[in-house]
Amino acid sequence: MRNLINFLIKYNYWLLFLLLEMVSFTLLFRFNSYQGSVFFTSANYVSGLIYECGTTVTGYFGLRSINKALVQRNVALQLELDRLLKENNRSSIDTSLVGNSSFSPVSVLSGYRMYPAEVINNSIVRTDNYITLDRGTADGIRPEMGVVSGSGIVGIVFKTSAHYSVVLSVLNSRSNISCKIKRTDYFGSLRWEGGSSQYAYLKDMPRHSEFSLGDTVVTSGHSAVFPEGIPIGVVDDMSDSNDGLSYKLKVKLFTDFARLGDVRVIASEGLEERTLLENSVLPQKNH
Amino acid sequence: MQAFSRIGWFVGLVLLQVLVLNHIHVGEYATPFLYIYFLLVLNADTARLQVILWGFSLGLAVDIFSNTPGLNASAATFLAFVRNPLLRSQTGRDVAEDFRPSVRTMGMAPFFRYALMTVFLYVLFLQLADAFSFSRWMPLFWKVVTNTAATLVGIYGIEIIRRKR
Repeated sequence: MRNLINFLIKYNYWLLFLLLEMVSFTLLFRFNSYQGSVFFTSANYVSGLIYECGTTVTGYFGLRSINKALVQRNVALQLELDRLLKENNRSSIDTSLVGNSSFSPVSVLSGYRMYPAEVINNSIVRTDNYITLDRGTADGIRPEMGVVSGSGIVGIVFKTSAHYSVVLSVLNSRSNISCKIKRTDYFGSLRWEGGSSQYAYLKDMPRHSEFSLGDTVVTSGHSAVFPEGIPIGVVDDMSDSNDGLSYKLKVKLFTDFARLGDVRVIASEGLEERTLLENSVLPQKNH
Repeated sequence: MQAFSRIGWFVGLVLLQVLVLNHIHVGEYATPFLYIYFLLVLNADTARLQVILWGFSLGLAVDIFSNTPGLNASAATFLAFVRNPLLRSQTGRDVAEDFRPSVRTMGMAPFFRYALMTVFLYVLFLQLADAFSFSRWMPLFWKVVTNTAATLVGIYGIEIIRRKR
């Protein structure tokens, strides 16, 4: 204690110096919004940079399993492509009979643009989880765009700055994504209620809807954010909703949120027009 | 008597700074910050604590008049903080403790080095706090160089006038 007091007495001018500098800078920041705003944006820039550096290091972990998943995905896509090509041939033969040879099946992603992005910050343990991406408005990203990974949906872009954007993760109590059972086309909304990052709940499934455990859940395409048919997960369990009027399905998500790396941002070309139209009809639109 | 002359210098230098010198921008950049002359020539045996308090109040006084609260105060506090060590580094051991730093008491070269270092550090701190970024470093560099030169010219001007009397 006496040493501490001696120390304080010996270096009192240091304390006074630091105190007065703090007073000065407080005055400076409070009075001049320029320095204050610069401080906060540059701090933001610095934190973004640090996150980015961290990702360049941690991005290498788990490359092996990511590679495996990619190969699997590649194979699945190849099979899908073969099937589509066959169907295409068949339909073009059919239509050539009636003289309309320019017809081709509408692919899932026509009318949508894809932007690659990298996750630089992510959380899964809070009630409201957000993901930060290293792309922003300068790269064409806008709020309300969908984000998907190689295995399934990730979330919806929430806020954007020039070079970064924040994504409302599926693992967020405010997230609400329209989806459907792939096999039978009955649709509901996907919500997350905290807890495990591997499970979310499909709510508002009508009583008469048909589904079975193990059915695949995909996006419904009703919300313009996601195109129809992007995989979400499989039905793992079912129960009654609180009011007993509908089913509540437990969905095991395809996306492993604890290990997100490269993602794609999906931009719908008619998004603004569609949102405008829908807002004009429904004042309280919930999507 | 000494206290009176100190307060006289304080008021005089602040008024000179805010009424005249703040409006001088030679070649768009060079503004002499002559008010820090007060801190430079405080007696060498003034306690460091006291110098810092003088620096802060002097800077704040200039700030209040020029609508930049905190800017000059922080820079002048910084100058006051580094003044005593810099002064000691330029004085020989055989000099008495309580002299007033000047060309006469210290000699031409040591006083110049002392003034150059303190003024440069002050101007650098001031301009960095003002710009608050390194993105436009060319104008920043020129401001630091020209302000330092203009302030040094001013300080030597005062020194010459005082010596003739």
